[in-house]
Amino acid sequence: MAHQCRLLRTGYNNAFHNMGLDQAILEQVAAGTVLPTLRFYGWQPAAISIGYFQGMQEEVDLSACHHHGVDTVRRITGGGAVFHQSEVTYSIVLPLTHPLADQNILASYGRLCQGIVKGLANLGVTAEFAPINDIVVGAKKISGNAQTRKLGCILQHGTILLDVDVDIMFTLLKVPSEKARGKAIADVKERVTSLSRILGRTVFFDEVSTALEQGFAEALDLNLVVEQPSAAELERVEDLARSRFASETWNLKR
Amino acid sequence: MMLQGVGKPSGCKLIRFTAVLEGQVIKEIQIRGDFFAIPEEVFEALEASLCGTSLDALEERFAQLARELDLALQGISGSGLAELVQTAYREGQTNNDTM
Repeated sequence: MAHQCRLLRTGYNNAFHNMGLDQAILEQVAAGTVLPTLRFYGWQPAAISIGYFQGMQEEVDLSACHHHGVDTVRRITGGGAVFHQSEVTYSIVLPLTHPLADQNILASYGRLCQGIVKGLANLGVTAEFAPINDIVVGAKKISGNAQTRKLGCILQHGTILLDVDVDIMFTLLKVPSEKARGKAIADVKERVTSLSRILGRTVFFDEVSTALEQGFAEALDLNLVVEQPSAAELERVEDLARSRFASETWNLKR
Repeated sequence: MMLQGVGKPSGCKLIRFTAVLEGQVIKEIQIRGDFFAIPEEVFEALEASLCGTSLDALEERFAQLARELDLALQGISGSGLAELVQTAYREGQTNNDTM
């Protein structure tokens, strides 16, 4: 029997709201007040998120971000810095007791990422999971994913690139030296791809998120129930966005 | 002395650290980078518990604490961190010797 799963299509929001809502969903799934949840979202304005353990000021050029109107936020998950500009972002939250929740973290990435692999197949793109937590087309990365476990739940979120502007990205991210900037840009251009590049056309958020919804449903045998965030989540997200994700205390803690 | 380092030791993601040493004993250390450690908040307890550890015991102490605290680690290890810190220490000594 298919697994009941709430589907949230929350559209574009700023970085602080986006990270706050992922945490609010985690808390509500943990409390048992909502179903396990799959969410699709975008970032407006563009943003850089850094991993939980990264140093904001050593990874990100904050004045360049300010100049370009790019938000900066620390995630509750580990991993590296991500430039969120032209992409579909998803999150999935499951109790650790859920049949789809592997206790082993690597196995868990492998299982949940099949939703993305299948979603990309629905767009005519052959992709594969690349351990630990990437999805590649050919040898090039198209999706990065990060997972945490809190309150008896798994939260995995990640991005699927619609397009990528590496030159802008490296005006916002710090590199070890100016001398290394050109090489860093060339390396990322060599290692990373996007749906627009693969399909040779402009790719839109809605068509990709729809393909991914179907991909997750098929790969994980989900019965998706479209809902809106609950009143409790909306109340909590305001608090988390203000008191945590937009705060210097949180964002500059490392 | 203050010690800083950055690198990608074998089997690890990018790791940065800032430490305060007294002799070869860690008085304070912060470890940063694009690694994963779950639960994240517990890793901060590991960092605090590394205080008082000598550099030659760092690899084993890190691994022991990770086991005791039941941390799931990806992209960081005791051997990788110890390699980075010990290398930075040796280079610091060499630089001091030549100044």
